Amino acid sequence: MEDNYLAKWLNNELSEEELAVFKKTDEYASYVKILKASDNLVAPEYDMEQALEDLRNKRTSKVIKMNPVRRLMQVAAVVALLLTGTYFYINSLGETVATQYAENKEVVLPDASEVILNADSEISYNDKGWDEKRNVSLEGEAFFRVAKGKKFTVTTDLGEIQVLGTQFNVEQRKNYFEVSCFEGLVSVSYKDQEIKLPAGTSFLVINNKIINAESPTTAEPSWMHNESSFKSIPLTYVLDELQRQYNLEVNTKGIDINLLFTGSFSNTDLDVALRSISASSKIKFKLEENKVLFYAENAP
Amino acid sequence: MNSINKNNVCEEEVFSHLFTTNSKTVFNYIYYKFGNQEKAYDAVQEAFVKLWENCEKVTPEKAKSYVYTVANNLYLNVIKAEKVRLKHSKDLNDRSNESPEFLMEEKEYKEKLDRALDSLPENQRVTFLLNRIDGKKYAEIAEMEGVSVKAIEKRMHLALKALRAQIEGI
Repeated sequence: MEDNYLAKWLNNELSEEELAVFKKTDEYASYVKILKASDNLVAPEYDMEQALEDLRNKRTSKVIKMNPVRRLMQVAAVVALLLTGTYFYINSLGETVATQYAENKEVVLPDASEVILNADSEISYNDKGWDEKRNVSLEGEAFFRVAKGKKFTVTTDLGEIQVLGTQFNVEQRKNYFEVSCFEGLVSVSYKDQEIKLPAGTSFLVINNKIINAESPTTAEPSWMHNESSFKSIPLTYVLDELQRQYNLEVNTKGIDINLLFTGSFSNTDLDVALRSISASSKIKFKLEENKVLFYAENAP
Repeated sequence: MNSINKNNVCEEEVFSHLFTTNSKTVFNYIYYKFGNQEKAYDAVQEAFVKLWENCEKVTPEKAKSYVYTVANNLYLNVIKAEKVRLKHSKDLNDRSNESPEFLMEEKEYKEKLDRALDSLPENQRVTFLLNRIDGKKYAEIAEMEGVSVKAIEKRMHLALKALRAQIEGI
């Protein structure tokens, strides 16, 4: 008998001789019986109409063309919405927590999951229906300790992160998107890619380019211990972070802000922080009140 | 420029067609894998939301495998397979002239088949059920699973052998 003859038999691909041989074997009757019984099997119920409607409700992010009847219904829906508007307005807003420059905040979500917000960051989520849908939108940077349970989703402008229960850090800044997983497994959707991050790995995108990121070696991101650390990150992002941590105006003169920076700075002692940055990137700085200027060493 | 472009997934008509022709199989596919209806339903929704969001980039020809890839990746390594429960459709046929012994025996056989299906490795079960219940050709299953047709033939062959061994206690 040839390879995989059972599969070939099912597909009527056996030659007449092969089939005749197969029919004479003891096993033939057994297989016929299995097939007969399995032909009665049915998959679980699936309501296509309902599924399509659910889907239409979900993909609201793009404009959907409507035919006149649906448009009319939409008008009716708007009228109905106006009547009950105030009620829904209050409820659909959900909760928003934001931090300013030089500020961190800890947020406990309805299921006891924790979010620690770094400076100049914001999360919003819906208190109601939290148990069905654990969905948080984030701008900025935050560390998540997710309680075990249903799918937990973090949405940012640059990508989406999904987990069941784990610890991870998300940083989404201008043209910068980094996810580091500290425990469990997270799934990152970036453009049309899905990336699985096991504990101890990171995913980093700078200016739409996926960078081979250094993996976290600590149990928590360093900023939670008042230190901002970087591994081969363009200086411009380091300076942005400094600005956020100290509420400063940061300017540069004659230095290449795309040079890669590796090192860390304190989030509590400005003087030490400025020295850390200038020492490892061989530049000088001048601090005047709320403004700091970084300039090239050999510049006048 | 405003005429309907049949080659664009962003067109409502094209998108709905893709949904109605494929979503049931995506649902079954994920269900055969993990045995969880709720997750299978979520996977379908998720996969098609992604398709919609990326409708400019995905061509209608690529849409099908795109949806399977997204649905598949969603639970990769994240959830544990549960018991796959399938119904037997023809239970209600007119059986008035069958003897009670025969019916009893048949019921026992079905139970054995259920248990045997459940004990199959996930990839063999998925292949077997997609072929038997959904009538999918090996080539189609190969596309969903992202493997060769030969690999699917192998899974099918092994699935049948394992089912027989399990049912007959070999």
